[in-house]
Amino acid sequence: MAGRGRGMSAVAWAALLDEVTAIPGVRAAVVVAADDGLVIHEAAMGDLDSADVAALAAALVRRGARLLGTLGGGRPQVLQLGGAGGTIVAAAGPDPLWLIAVAAPEAELGRLRLLLGDRAGVMR
Amino acid sequence: MTDASPPHVAPSQGPVFLDLGERLRLRGQLEAAESVARAGLAHFPALTEAHDLLARILADAGREVEAEAAWTSALGCTPGHVGALKGLAYLAFRRHDLEAAQDRLEAAAAALPHDTAILAALDRVRALRPEASLGTHATFGSPAAGMLLFDAAGLRVAGHADEAGSNAMADAAAAEAAGVTMEAARTARILGLGPWREVIVEGETARLIVVPLDDANGLLVRRPPTTPAGRLRTLAARGLAGARAWLAGDGA
Repeated sequence: MAGRGRGMSAVAWAALLDEVTAIPGVRAAVVVAADDGLVIHEAAMGDLDSADVAALAAALVRRGARLLGTLGGGRPQVLQLGGAGGTIVAAAGPDPLWLIAVAAPEAELGRLRLLLGDRAGVMR
Repeated sequence: MTDASPPHVAPSQGPVFLDLGERLRLRGQLEAAESVARAGLAHFPALTEAHDLLARILADAGREVEAEAAWTSALGCTPGHVGALKGLAYLAFRRHDLEAAQDRLEAAAAALPHDTAILAALDRVRALRPEASLGTHATFGSPAAGMLLFDAAGLRVAGHADEAGSNAMADAAAAEAAGVTMEAARTARILGLGPWREVIVEGETARLIVVPLDDANGLLVRRPPTTPAGRLRTLAARGLAGARAWLAGDGA
């Protein structure tokens, strides 16, 4: 656990998460460790509890990874949970980090997915 | 896919008759090639490549029904055999059954996700059937469809998640998929996302979508990693329609 997410400065993390939350309709962004569901960094959580988002998203990522593994699908790269009232998009960074965004129904999902996939790769 | 001859397969290592039969086929000596292939099959009835060779010869001869039977036999020997899948896709394309051609090619692409020839053929077939995105019923129940219906307890109800039609893999996938639905419902409820509609999981060699059918059942769709996320949604919608029909007795 020591050192996870410490390869970037606080300013760099803030800039990365600000990019995500700048997309209209994005309610929150958080970096989590999928193995234990702990928050590494967070931004613009609003009325959401970052610990809830991190723990729930991490649990879903682990479930998704197990399903994918059962089917020989390799390492998960993106996971998306869609609901009537919003969407969670998660993009894999260097193990065990995941970049998570919670978006409202009107958010530009395609743009959000592209950005998360792009930025998750530079986390360290 | 638009060529007049079935996909060429280089002579593979194995019994000598395979190489001889393929050479005769390529020279157009189809009767001699068929004799060699059938004689070989008599000695090696479980040899996948022998069925594949015979199928190619028969396809060259325009005996497509027999060729299909031979490629199906090849799949029986080796589930997921890419040569047989490509051959069956070719035959489906020839008879203008684009949905079946696409199913076979997607199964082949799942086995060889970086094969540019397969991906190019898949793109061509998809381009020829834009109606597929508009929501006709899926061929629910066919292993090639890659659709699995499961219940809330994690038991498989119908379908398979892989081309080979493995029951063991389908049972395991049903158990895990039910876990995903439970976690999705919990996450959506606690975070105020409303009723959950889908979980998409994109992996290195496969893309999955899990959707709720009703309170008791869910549907898992598996596709190659090249499948766009939007297409996964349309496939799931078709799958749900097929699953509802199946549960109503239409497809049972």
